[in-house]
Amino acid sequence: MERRDAVVIGAGLNGLVAAASLARGGLDVLVLDRAAAPGGVSAEREIAPGFRLPRYTLGSGGLPARIVADLDLPRHGLRFVRAEGGVSCLPDGSYHASYRDGVVHRREIARFSRRDADAWTRYRRDMLRAARGLGPLLEGPARTIPKGLFGGLRARLGLADRIAAIAPEDVADMLRLWTLPMSDFLDGYFESDVVKAHLASAALMRGTLGPCSPTGASRLVAPWIGEPGDAMGGAPETLLPHGGPAALVRALMSVIEAHGGQVRMEAEVTDILIKDKVVRGVVLANGEEIGAGSVLSGLDVKRSFLSLFQWKDLPEGLVERVGRVRMKGVTAKVNLALGAMPDFPYLPPGCPSVAGGLRLTGFIPAQERAFTDWRDRIPPRDPLIDVLIPSFHDATLAPAGMHVLSALVQFVPETLHEGAWSGERRDALGDLVIARLGEISPGIESRILACEVLLPHDLESELGLTGGDLAYGETTLDQMFANRPFPGMGGAETPLRNFYLCSPSAHPGPLVMGGAGANAAAQVLSRRRKRG
Amino acid sequence: MIPDTLLPSPQDEEVENLHPEIDPLDERAAVDPALFEDMRAEPVFARAVLTSPLHLAVAAESRTNNWTVWNGFTTPATLTDLGDEYRALRGAAALMDISPLVKYRIAGRDARPFLDRLVTRDLGALEVDRALHVVFCEGNGFVLGDGLLFRLDDDEYRLVTEETHLAWLLDSAVGFRVRIEDVSATLAVLSLQGPLAALCLAEAGVANIAELLPFAARWTEIAGMPAYVSRTGASGDLGYEIWIDPDDAPHAWRFLLEKSGPYGLTPAGFDLRELARLETGFPRAGKDYLSAFAAIDAADARTPFDLWVEPLVDFGKPLFNGREALRRLVLVEPRRRVVPLVVDGLEPARFAAVHANGRLAGTATSIGFSPALAANIALATVDAAALAASDLAVRAERREGVSVREIVLPARVLTEPAWNNPRRLAIPAPLKA
Repeated sequence: MERRDAVVIGAGLNGLVAAASLARGGLDVLVLDRAAAPGGVSAEREIAPGFRLPRYTLGSGGLPARIVADLDLPRHGLRFVRAEGGVSCLPDGSYHASYRDGVVHRREIARFSRRDADAWTRYRRDMLRAARGLGPLLEGPARTIPKGLFGGLRARLGLADRIAAIAPEDVADMLRLWTLPMSDFLDGYFESDVVKAHLASAALMRGTLGPCSPTGASRLVAPWIGEPGDAMGGAPETLLPHGGPAALVRALMSVIEAHGGQVRMEAEVTDILIKDKVVRGVVLANGEEIGAGSVLSGLDVKRSFLSLFQWKDLPEGLVERVGRVRMKGVTAKVNLALGAMPDFPYLPPGCPSVAGGLRLTGFIPAQERAFTDWRDRIPPRDPLIDVLIPSFHDATLAPAGMHVLSALVQFVPETLHEGAWSGERRDALGDLVIARLGEISPGIESRILACEVLLPHDLESELGLTGGDLAYGETTLDQMFANRPFPGMGGAETPLRNFYLCSPSAHPGPLVMGGAGANAAAQVLSRRRKRG
Repeated sequence: MIPDTLLPSPQDEEVENLHPEIDPLDERAAVDPALFEDMRAEPVFARAVLTSPLHLAVAAESRTNNWTVWNGFTTPATLTDLGDEYRALRGAAALMDISPLVKYRIAGRDARPFLDRLVTRDLGALEVDRALHVVFCEGNGFVLGDGLLFRLDDDEYRLVTEETHLAWLLDSAVGFRVRIEDVSATLAVLSLQGPLAALCLAEAGVANIAELLPFAARWTEIAGMPAYVSRTGASGDLGYEIWIDPDDAPHAWRFLLEKSGPYGLTPAGFDLRELARLETGFPRAGKDYLSAFAAIDAADARTPFDLWVEPLVDFGKPLFNGREALRRLVLVEPRRRVVPLVVDGLEPARFAAVHANGRLAGTATSIGFSPALAANIALATVDAAALAASDLAVRAERREGVSVREIVLPARVLTEPAWNNPRRLAIPAPLKA
């Protein structure tokens, strides 16, 4: 039987980050994936000859600087493009752009309210304070109080110390941020509906909360995580890997190969070898067995436990707890190949924020309606649409002068109240997205060469992602940090020895790209070091 | 980031001959005024930059093409040479465009009670046509901003600040019958500073200017244009500020230079304003201290006691924002203070880190070479505990060509401003009739 130090199941972004870290740590690593090409959720596909784009994700967002440096990714060809924060287009024809420069950004807000332009300073301070406060929590594994008298006592005292150091006003601020709905929280800063809709729409994307759902305000912090200290006082920037998420995958593959790791495609893991509650290896679909010192699963938490194991092998209660983790599909993806550059006549010419993406959104009441439609499983009538045109940054993604457009449609239910999605419903969604795009870019319909619509259940069947949930588990506060994926298992280590979860189902979830993979690898390496 | 399909291609023949009337070699070439027109309704990116209403008049005086940005406005850093401009400021008079300052008009029946609650100083002595340096704090006693408060009429005030504060002003005004407007765009300001400032104004036809007391103001006329002249300006010397309609401002600028040029009145840029402020020891909001709303690290927020030797707080006033917190803060030693430093070394140096007994103890936020002291001076935020240290020093960089040397220069706290001429508060010498 073939034996490896570590086997990683799934060649998605987190699986590859974990494998690259382990390979750099000197382990003999094998990555197994059932697909023909690596990438998983970050995979790139050709939708028409010569038109490539990320198939399942929007394509924005980069790895944190810590992982880029640890894995030495620039030496493996990875480059980043920093873009302005994006533009929201509202139904009344107005738009709100985000700029990194504080003076320019405040001038943009002043178009809607001069008062709000000043309120921005305080909003930014509070967001950055919250993001800095989260920083230490996101860098390593989620902190659970260790077992044992002394370790537990020390951790508790340390926690008490930190809590005692928080000023009473800050406690009030923190409580507001972690409990309030987004709309109420924004009302505490801004008066302009456009400004509030712009900030809320960015925070709503990929989430399962509406603008009026309690605890939603905490989602506003996400874009500020990792914002550098020398920033210029404006909105947080958008980090884009040059060449899209596929470039991240290529760089990570190169690191794995350079350190002697292996990636084997079209190799589906169907079972885990387990003996005396200790994981010993994996079984492939063709019956081949591979022994492993550690097995890291890049699959979501439900698939990892419920489909790879015999349920009788799992500790008591685990099946039930995993079963109760909420995973809900909330986004659909629309990919377009465009025969010509789209025009945006209602945006100022040369506006650099378009590079950071366009968001088609209504005001907060309309966003709430889109959310309740999703909750009631009504076919989307007025969804939020997040658009990125990756070929603006990388002309090689499409033939010269042509473009690819990537659109994430928010608040698309997994199944409809009437049952499964029908072909007509799917076509109607595609038409709705194109019609909405046509409102800000007249004539875009006539430039479309190819179009594909991916619904949540397409994501589930193609990627094996439960519910088509790109967040790998709902990101409400009860399923975050030490509670991710479920209370008692905060981090990559599972109740089964030698079995680790390296997907965003584990802490820190989708908050830090690649963070779950890096955490899992760090835990595997430290466990090996302890054993000597 | 976005393909430049909207720009004409460089090969385009027509582009070259679009303006045959412009001679590119004429340094006084007329600038197309449309470039600098204010177009507020336009989206942010249709307009490249904000310019002061005096931009064209000021640009005509520029010999260095050395520009900077102040509050988002294109502003000259220097117009001729900082040394020349400084000599004019201390020996004759300098004229500066300070229109990028933020100006609020606060008017209404409750303007006085509103301001009483807003600022930490007692406004009882503030008569009509007088100005006062005021500070306003958040409820926890940390400074949000400081500025000059003019009383224009019984129920009308003007607050002049370095940064914008509209959100705080409006939020604090709830329940008061008061109207608050940002009038920055509708009011231009000229600063005329220097020992001959009064003479320059008299030459321009302003009657009885010598009788204007420090921090007093009054309406007058300059070349027939109404102007509000106040004896203010943070130069540590005699000086006036002229508040005038933006349409009239360029004419007033040219008229003053024409009339008083023979007495040495010299136009100057932002660098001179910064140097004069530094010599006087005035911290600037956003540079030497952060508004409590902008301080990401809570330790970067300052109290009035950290910032000013005379902290501008009147506890005799029964109610103002931050009073309770400030009463507690006045009893404890400040943790960090903003202090003027003088640094040894006979030539200009660049530095930021301030060390005490070999350990990092603070940061110099404004630096400059004071011709008055012939030494480097700075405003620095320093740990209060380190201020008593015997060997305060800065780590300076000295560049020569492309090489850089790091040197440690001894520093000490300045006990009095580098420039504080008694003329600042005296009545100017009698002027010729």
